[in-house]
Amino acid sequence: MKLGIDIGGTFTDFVLFEDTSNQLYFAKTLTTYPDPTVGIFNGIKELEAKFGFPVKEIDAIVHGTTLVTNAVIERKGAKTAFITTKGFEDVLEIGREMRYDIYDIFLTMPKPLIPRNLRMGISERVDTHGNILTELDETHLQPLAKALKDNGIEAVGVCLLNSFANTKHEKVLGDFLSKNVPDVYYSLSSEIMPEIREYERSSATAMNAYVQPITDKYLKDFETQLRESGFSGNINIMISSGKLTTIDGARKSPIHLLESGPAGGAMAGVFYGTHLEEENLLCFDMGGTTAKACVIYEGKPEITNHFEAGRVKRFKKGSGLPVRIPVIDLIEIGAGGGSIARVNNIGLLTVGPDSASSTPGPACYNLGGEDPTVTDADLVLGYLNADYFLGGDMQLSVDAAREAIRVKLADPLHISIEEAAMGVHKIVNENMANAARVHVLEKGMDPRHFNMIGFGGAGPVHAFGVAKLLNTKRLIIPVGAGVTSALGFLVSPVASEKIHSFISEVKEINWEEVNTFLADMEKDGYNFLAQSGIDKKEATVERVVEMRYAGQGHEITIEIPKGELSEKSIPEIEKRFVKEYEFRYNRSIEGMSLEMVTWRVVVQGPIPQMKVKQFSTTATDAEAYKGVRKVYFEETGYLDCPVYDRYALKSNEKFDGPAIIEETESTTVIGVNSSVHVDKDKNIIIDLHH
Amino acid sequence: MQTKTTFDPIALSILWSRLISIVDEAGTTLQRTSFSTVTRESNDFAVVLMDRKGRSIAQSSVSVPSFLGVLPMLTKALLADYFPLDTWKEGDVVMTNDPWLCAGHKPDIGIVSPIFHESKLIGFIGTIAHSPDMGGVLWGAGSRDLYEEGLMVPPTKLISEGKPNHTLFNILEHNVRASDQTIGDIRAQIAANDQGIKSLMKLMEENNLEDLQDLADAVINASEKAMREALLAAPDGSYQYSYDTDGDGRGNGCHFEITVTIKGDEIHADYEGTSGAHPLSINAVLNYTYAYTAYPIKCTFSPDVPNNDGSFYPIKVTAPKGCLVNAQKPSPLGARNITGNMLHSVVFGALAKAVPEQVQADCGSACWCIVLNGEHKGKEFVEYFFLNGGYGARPTMDGEHVLSFPTNVANVPIEVLETDIAVLVTEKSLVPNSGGEGKYRGGLGQRFSFKNVGENALNLSLLTEKTQTPAKGILLGQDGQMGAMEIIPHRDFPPKGLDKLHPGEELILTLPGGGGYGDPAQRDKALIEEDKALGYII
Repeated sequence: MKLGIDIGGTFTDFVLFEDTSNQLYFAKTLTTYPDPTVGIFNGIKELEAKFGFPVKEIDAIVHGTTLVTNAVIERKGAKTAFITTKGFEDVLEIGREMRYDIYDIFLTMPKPLIPRNLRMGISERVDTHGNILTELDETHLQPLAKALKDNGIEAVGVCLLNSFANTKHEKVLGDFLSKNVPDVYYSLSSEIMPEIREYERSSATAMNAYVQPITDKYLKDFETQLRESGFSGNINIMISSGKLTTIDGARKSPIHLLESGPAGGAMAGVFYGTHLEEENLLCFDMGGTTAKACVIYEGKPEITNHFEAGRVKRFKKGSGLPVRIPVIDLIEIGAGGGSIARVNNIGLLTVGPDSASSTPGPACYNLGGEDPTVTDADLVLGYLNADYFLGGDMQLSVDAAREAIRVKLADPLHISIEEAAMGVHKIVNENMANAARVHVLEKGMDPRHFNMIGFGGAGPVHAFGVAKLLNTKRLIIPVGAGVTSALGFLVSPVASEKIHSFISEVKEINWEEVNTFLADMEKDGYNFLAQSGIDKKEATVERVVEMRYAGQGHEITIEIPKGELSEKSIPEIEKRFVKEYEFRYNRSIEGMSLEMVTWRVVVQGPIPQMKVKQFSTTATDAEAYKGVRKVYFEETGYLDCPVYDRYALKSNEKFDGPAIIEETESTTVIGVNSSVHVDKDKNIIIDLHH
Repeated sequence: MQTKTTFDPIALSILWSRLISIVDEAGTTLQRTSFSTVTRESNDFAVVLMDRKGRSIAQSSVSVPSFLGVLPMLTKALLADYFPLDTWKEGDVVMTNDPWLCAGHKPDIGIVSPIFHESKLIGFIGTIAHSPDMGGVLWGAGSRDLYEEGLMVPPTKLISEGKPNHTLFNILEHNVRASDQTIGDIRAQIAANDQGIKSLMKLMEENNLEDLQDLADAVINASEKAMREALLAAPDGSYQYSYDTDGDGRGNGCHFEITVTIKGDEIHADYEGTSGAHPLSINAVLNYTYAYTAYPIKCTFSPDVPNNDGSFYPIKVTAPKGCLVNAQKPSPLGARNITGNMLHSVVFGALAKAVPEQVQADCGSACWCIVLNGEHKGKEFVEYFFLNGGYGARPTMDGEHVLSFPTNVANVPIEVLETDIAVLVTEKSLVPNSGGEGKYRGGLGQRFSFKNVGENALNLSLLTEKTQTPAKGILLGQDGQMGAMEIIPHRDFPPKGLDKLHPGEELILTLPGGGGYGDPAQRDKALIEEDKALGYII
């Protein structure tokens, strides 16, 4: 029996897979503050009470949390110091000196996580080839230790210049810190992100140190309490690349947890895709404040290492702190149920990126919100049921929604309330479709070749509209659409991801050295998997190198041929590079030599197979058809639209759109010109007739 | 006869954001496929989508502001004087670096491609990028006339209906240093244009658009209207300001005079009284002056609305012919950015008298440029890097430390610089006390030092500014600290111009801080304490 637990900002989600009957069970509790483990045990108790599974019968737990992301956004990390090469203490604050918005003279840049008075320089210097120019001055070490103690420092980030080329001085510092200030956590850049570019490496290292004490304490508490409750199985943690690490791995590199929730969602997409025999899928996830999309191609999510955390201007590229770690390539736009709609200063209707959040919330919550939001528009259009929001736990006010839309949107634009509401709904869909389209095109693929899967609280409300815009043929609203991240945790593989920086032109490269470090990285990977009880025989190895034309500054990722490398590998490597380069940029450059920069080895355990027989829900025997209500569609205006109860839908039930399907966490909106069928597992499959 | 398509506020909102994402994608392609540090690390480029008349419709978000203003002027000039509308063929690419048509100095190469949809010319996409070399003396302020600044390519088809102009490629290759970089960057510009065209075709197809013209009219009108409305809300009047800059940094300075007149929904900036052409190559052509005058006006009056041709229509800029900001042949122009980067100071200074809550104090600009040339591992290189000073204080907040303005170029990472060439960076740090005091403090400048650790002397072209004249504070705010530079072992060298950095020599550059805003006596005590705790003031 395996349990996935996902702590989000509002809810903590649980998915339990019972492998004797191959059934899935779901639960949801409120996230508790300040101690989220309370919420976890509430959920575990609920699972036990509802379905009768005691915690000691669980074999494995996979966990993900927003803890790290929130600590960065809210600046609630530890008191952290930074050690760098003397003379370069301000690199972390100066950044790249570039503005992220060219017309906003009132912009602010993100403040460094570690303030200037806690950044310390040490006399040492390594050159870019790894030669030591100035030995580390060990007489500086004791005063340094004293300064850390005097300032009550809990964690230290260490990033020395050119340490990607020679790790020696960082290691000396690490050893010294662990011996002399054993209570202080430390992060070395050569372990966190061994890549060229000192600001980006410093940023990742500082962030890792900053979140390490709280993550460590949290994970310790989490593990201890689980053990005390009788759990004796394996614990794994979800990381941003859609892989699992161990508790120890997570404690060492907590920045890898930054996108654990969204990565879980993407991995759930992979799972559903396999289950439904859909290799290529576009995952569409929409919640209260944001919507996300990611591409699953040939059963795999795309990975990128360009990522920013804690943006000071929401969704604005460049306004955050860079963290170059592997993350699932998700596009995110500021459009969720709470996103505010307005008429801007040039008379155009716009939506988001700011959100009414939960207080005061959308106007229809009647909690004092006066700004019309996406949820208000969806309610006016009849997509949401005022009496059945969150399963009826919250009463919505149609009048308040209409009034907000009339005053703020319809009157200024001289259009009807319904037209304005439809405009809001459409703009959100268009923004999402647009972002998804660009995302897919950037990868050289055609969005029409992807079917779509929609989840998240607002995902099923908008997925049909987005699918229509993308000319998607089929849309799937899976069972468990409200707890997808936790489900994704259960189907993600344990993996070790090692990075090595070794810059050399292909024709001059020392293959012997390359083979040696690649073998070491692979061996480290097997050892890591062994900690989770995974045998070498079950592991798969992926070796890639980031390459470019010599003289360029940006790389593309190429898979390395299998086995030992030598000069004989060059033609194949060149062929792969040129193919990928032409695919991306429609051209290649003849006669230009190639350069290899960063090497990555992923050693991965098997992808957990869940042969799900039954997605357990609180199914009822009642008739699914609940009657009709007035729903507004662009093509038809208001019409009497059939409404169904999701929990009462039967396998193989079929009907045509338009239709509304209600469940506790969400509502599926199905437009005209479509047909719906419910598959054997109660997933809703919608075929769009374009 | 086609009927005019109109766009409702919803459709226009949607299409407009797609146009912007198209040019952004093109910008990413340019950055990712380029070779020089000036493009790939510092982003000294811009991409603009234009309609059939050469009017800008959308521009890349990562951009150098001056290029954005110049590209539509270039395309309009190409249409009027070189390649009339009916002479363009599918697959053509036109190149020029003529400073008067393009961005005011020869290294900035403009590449314009026509966009055809169903065999009909519907618009243009253009990029300008700062190429690492165009021959002549090493780029900077060291040239004595225009001809020392290298090759000038008048508007020429670099590619004709898909066929490369090998003669032109050959001439370029044989006239520039490290030609792999220059040619590689030109190819990256072409790739960016192609990427933009490809994405635009998708948009047209999906939205059943046959033409761009109606959409162009709609976005241009909207941006124009926003600018006019903001100007209308500002008090009418004539506002004057005068300002001094370093010039050669050795006593021959420059003087700027501006009169900004706001009348109804129009604004006019006139530079009458500004000093004459300077013997150093820091003279700006009027195109460039226009772009860097319009830019702070846009920031002040209509920062939120996406920029395009319409934003410029209410803005008029004049300057006496032959003066520093309206240079004529054969005045040398190489380092005209030093002058252009100062115009925001002059414009904001004048506008502070009209709309004090909408402007910022003077920044520690212009951005300093260092160009090194020599051989590394048997290969010739031209390595650029940029350094920025402190940002000016704002009406409600301090200036940011070390931030690019008005241009927007990133630094080259130290580790990249040291990989590319034989230098060792010895310091990069904030300079305490360098921000001008005020109710809000100017941002701090930086110190950046490096040593030649190779065996050969490096050719050095240096561009510094504000070593003799400070970033001015406004509305009782204090001036920022001036910049300084030194070579160790100590010797004399020009603040702007050419020299060599010999093996073992170290160049220490101290960049100026930003000006303060408002009366220092009104500064919040808590902010002063924080500045002390962090060592911003000592």
